[in-house]
Amino acid sequence: MNSAAACAPLPAQPSRGALPPLSASDHKSLTAFDDEQEWDAFGQALEGPEAGCWQSQVLVEGMHCSACALNIEQALLQQCGVRSVQVSSAARRARVVWDAALTRPSQWLAAAPGYRLLPDLAFDQDLRLESRRMLWRWLVSAFCMMQIMMYAYPAYITPPGTIGADIEQLMAWACWMLSLPVMLFCAQPFFAQAARDLWARRIGMDLPVALGLLIAFGASSAATFDPHGLWGAAVYFDSLSMFVFFLLTGRWLELRLRERTAGSLNALMQRLPHSVEREQPDGSFSVVAARRLRVGDVIRVLPGQAFAADGCVLEGQTHVDESLLSGESRPLPREVGSAVLAGSYNLSATVRMRVVQLGHGTRYQQIVALMQQAALDKPRLAVLADRIARPFLWAVLLAAALAALLWWPTDPARGLMAAVAVLVVTCPCALSLATPSAVLTSAGALARQGMLVRRLQAFQALDQVDTVVFDKTGTLTQARLGLRATTMVEQREDVDAVQALQWAAALARHSLHPVSRALVAAAEQAQLQRPQQPLEQVREHRGQGLQGELVAAAGVQGRTLRLGRAQFCGLEPSDSEQVQVYLADEQGPIARFDLDEVLREGAQALIDALRQRGLRVQLLSGDRAAPVQALARRLGLAQARSQCSAQDKREWVRAEQAAGHRVLMVGDGLNDGPVLAQADVSLAVGASVPLAQAQADVVLPSGQLQAVLVLLEQGRRTQAVVRQSLAWAAVYNALGVPLAAMGWLPAWLAGLGMALSSLAVVLNAARLARHRPLAPLQTGC
Amino acid sequence: MDILFLLIPLSVLLALGVVGVLAWAVWSGQFEEVDAEAQRILRERD
Repeated sequence: MNSAAACAPLPAQPSRGALPPLSASDHKSLTAFDDEQEWDAFGQALEGPEAGCWQSQVLVEGMHCSACALNIEQALLQQCGVRSVQVSSAARRARVVWDAALTRPSQWLAAAPGYRLLPDLAFDQDLRLESRRMLWRWLVSAFCMMQIMMYAYPAYITPPGTIGADIEQLMAWACWMLSLPVMLFCAQPFFAQAARDLWARRIGMDLPVALGLLIAFGASSAATFDPHGLWGAAVYFDSLSMFVFFLLTGRWLELRLRERTAGSLNALMQRLPHSVEREQPDGSFSVVAARRLRVGDVIRVLPGQAFAADGCVLEGQTHVDESLLSGESRPLPREVGSAVLAGSYNLSATVRMRVVQLGHGTRYQQIVALMQQAALDKPRLAVLADRIARPFLWAVLLAAALAALLWWPTDPARGLMAAVAVLVVTCPCALSLATPSAVLTSAGALARQGMLVRRLQAFQALDQVDTVVFDKTGTLTQARLGLRATTMVEQREDVDAVQALQWAAALARHSLHPVSRALVAAAEQAQLQRPQQPLEQVREHRGQGLQGELVAAAGVQGRTLRLGRAQFCGLEPSDSEQVQVYLADEQGPIARFDLDEVLREGAQALIDALRQRGLRVQLLSGDRAAPVQALARRLGLAQARSQCSAQDKREWVRAEQAAGHRVLMVGDGLNDGPVLAQADVSLAVGASVPLAQAQADVVLPSGQLQAVLVLLEQGRRTQAVVRQSLAWAAVYNALGVPLAAMGWLPAWLAGLGMALSSLAVVLNAARLARHRPLAPLQTGC
Repeated sequence: MDILFLLIPLSVLLALGVVGVLAWAVWSGQFEEVDAEAQRILRERD
């Protein structure tokens, strides 16, 4: 009761983040859906007694609990012309049946005060029908199985001959009647799939099941109507219906599990909203389909919604969740002027944004394209599974035939049931499911952490990796320089190191050279003011440095400043490995700036962690020897090769592989394509790469290096799960088949075993979806 | 025991009838919003 009382009068509680009541302009925007052309997009016309009515699917916002569902139902039902309403609080959706002759969508969409009702333009009718059909099959098989057991029970508990032959036959007839729905309806998916496989001239996993069912039903039917015939009087309707029930239960659970785990990939891909609120020229908002958006439109995004396009915030302050796009799991603040990405979630407040980029230009679409590539990989996994299953299935058919032949001379009925048990007990699914289910689950788990697996087979190689090869620039280091030290060359009384950096940065602002940018960045990081005296006549001497006139001001005399390499500032060039620039004036050099490459966050910690795990770590770079050696020393790497062409890198990796090592190559994915292709597993790191061009097995858009460890760990776990599942399937089949062939295994037990066996494999794979966080790396390096 | 010859066929018919009721329940969406029905009883009728 209290939940109903708490949320019923929504508009009166603005503190709960309640939606503002619909304004007149909002109401006007809904009239767009009064056009009959639009109705198909969110529902369908009804036929029969309700002809002239439409059944529409509606999204409900502002709903907190199931009591809200009733509020909405009542409010809508009071509208003239609304026939029936069903609100699902779990799905936050409603189904409304309304009479097109009496009302229009805009009227009843606005009829529930305190809630916002929007047409659900992405409604998928087929999906719900499919789940209903499945539930229905399962229910029928469960009910029929129960009833058949009732009729079969007397025969189990009474001594033979106690029940009259006529009554026994009557019971068999009753069982037969009730197994008709099971055979004709519940088992239909198995028959249909087996028929499709036969039609395509291949042997499928449903064939043994279908054969077993047909044999058991045929023999039992013959025994029912001709108890004195060849098949004897034994009937197996109870075993048969139980078998179907167990199988359907197993499949249903399997489907639910797979939807939850591997399906998370799909969930990520279907993240963009289908309808958005677009600002009209008069300042009001109207709901339009997302595909009608154009660059430059202004849209409103409510908390909890996903952004439909890349854009920039015009109004409002909020936090966003960009975990899919960048792997950053913390909520990120976004204010006026900052950029937001399509596919990220608006978490805390309503914002207005201008659309800057749509469709294929967005990072989100690039990620989706990558995932679709991975989805193309799935059939190859299925082929792999098929290759294991096919010889196995032939063996099963052979074993069943042998079992039948073995018993035939003594007891044909028993021989048949032994054959049925063999057909039923063997579980090719467990064998062939082991790899795909584990790999798909892992790929889904990684995707949720911002890692995109493009080639699913990579998981198999990942487990054996013993050598990790890094590219340097853009992978371990950022593609920019950083200021490491400022040294005064000559002590002056009016200039200190801070003043020198301030002047150098002021000069450097006039250039885009990487060194200049590093100096400017260093000055900004130290929060230095720009010098008060302006610089004049700044000129860039290409390849040498910059020169400018510092105008005299209070306390500081004017001078001509030079910033550049040693010769440019009147010094002998040194042979240091480091990048060095000098600041000088007319009196000579003032200060020296030492620059080096900026390590990516976590690079040092990652390499330490990899070595701790006993992996060999190597560095390959196309850069000159000096900086590469300097970096290798800093990171403590023994093996580093410099001045490698793409071809050299590839040869290096090939040589490692020839020496028996398995190589994980970590690069930026853009200019090291050949070496990434050569490595056993390749990982492209970095946010600067256009995702679709990254030629790697795994792509890491966030550039967080710690993910290398996550990837290795997940690969290890995946292979462990695959091995467990295969071992389980092998043991199960090796035990089950002989037992069934000897006739010691009743068909119902065989069915239960088979359902449990494939369920065990899927459950085992589902363990991979659990996120096991690694110990955080020490990043202060 | 002759009555069994009537009762068993009757029970088969009854079972098939129950299957029919189940069909109605599934296809009219009885299993799709289970929570809301529990709340309905708590509401004032107006």
